[in-house]
Amino acid sequence: MKKIEQAKTVYNAIKIPDQLNNIVNRAVLKENEKKRYDFKYIKYALSTASCVFFTFILMINISPSFAANISELPVLGDVAKVFTINEYIKKDNEKLVNAKIPAIENTGNTELEKRINYEIMLKMNEVLKEAEERAAEYKEAVIETGGKEEDYQPINIKIDYYVGYLSKDVVSFVITKSETLASAYTEKYYYNIDIETGKNLNLRDVLGNDYKQIVDETIYKQIEEKSKNPDNMYFTKEENGFAGIEDEYQNFYINSDGKVVIVFEKYQIAPGYMGEQEFIIDKQIF
Amino acid sequence: MRDVKEVLIDYVKNNQEKLYRIAFSYSKNEEAALDIVQESIVKALKNISSLKEEKYVKTWFFRILINESLQYIKKNKKIITYELEEIEDKIEWNDNITSEEIDVYKYIQSLNEKLKTVIMLRYFEDMKIEEIAKVTKTNENTVKSRLYKGLKELKRLMKGCN
Repeated sequence: MKKIEQAKTVYNAIKIPDQLNNIVNRAVLKENEKKRYDFKYIKYALSTASCVFFTFILMINISPSFAANISELPVLGDVAKVFTINEYIKKDNEKLVNAKIPAIENTGNTELEKRINYEIMLKMNEVLKEAEERAAEYKEAVIETGGKEEDYQPINIKIDYYVGYLSKDVVSFVITKSETLASAYTEKYYYNIDIETGKNLNLRDVLGNDYKQIVDETIYKQIEEKSKNPDNMYFTKEENGFAGIEDEYQNFYINSDGKVVIVFEKYQIAPGYMGEQEFIIDKQIF
Repeated sequence: MRDVKEVLIDYVKNNQEKLYRIAFSYSKNEEAALDIVQESIVKALKNISSLKEEKYVKTWFFRILINESLQYIKKNKKIITYELEEIEDKIEWNDNITSEEIDVYKYIQSLNEKLKTVIMLRYFEDMKIEEIAKVTKTNENTVKSRLYKGLKELKRLMKGCN
């Protein structure tokens, strides 16, 4: 097809960045250097394996009655809590799964707890299923292209969470999921829940109608500050870097000081090597 | 006989521009494409022991590269649609390129991932149907039917435009 031949001229004209050769050479070297750490890695793998042996295995049940049961726990204090409701460890030839699933309690609003905990369980089940399917697919690909079963290194799938802020009005926590082969891919799920209304709070709710101005100003300032270090190379506006947040649904959590922390994923506003980027908005909101 | 690992290293070094163009066509972003190439090389070398036959180096590596690219896209959908508009700034212009060529390239990029992948491998990378089947982990008939569907869809898109 002639038209496609024309498109090929565009494809072949894609600019090649100067760094490519360096990056390729570094990637090749990096892997050779890693050899030295192999022993350490094996030791780590062994100790993980022994953990599996001692940890009881619990399936995550999608069961509304189960969710209902935990919400009947008596209310003990003023402050909401986030706790690990399920720990799930599974190891086979394809993957090593290590999942810690959080739930909320002690909010004084059992209906809300029921709903949120059930939602988390559903979501995490789906996330795990997808990650496991990807691991199976990857393994199949390795085998099909001439690889041997015993040479395949299982993918590490990890679900964990961290708590940002807890009070009698608000719980803020973040669930993280990572899949590790040579490097980790992490995805995050943000929960900032208003206990009274059950609403997942957005930036407008916590910072008011001027949220965009407040956040943008702070981030521009902090990017400028951080860019003084030559290792930090944020994308410029032309490179599709930070140009103001899009809307109030920007990812954030509330830290233990009661301040908003804006989070940008890896690649979003800076090159991959800089990883995820966090900006604390210096305004007491709780 | 040479070590498979050496063959792979030579392959990626000698074909780095090709690998970059594939990664870029998916990610539409220079930094991301560089990251994808880098991660793919590290992953490939790490799992090199699973690759026994030298003749599969190319298809095996392409598979890792494309998987890596697709994973990136999945996470960055919003950014990519925005950047797709900017392809004009990311090519070295020459006399053979007019807005028509750009349009066809964009149409190809707008196809769904499966169709786009076979079209790019077949027409941009001149791969054989058999090789594409290996890369995409499907059989040759599936590749043929995706090619056919892709071409049909492209025709439809081009007509709609004129």
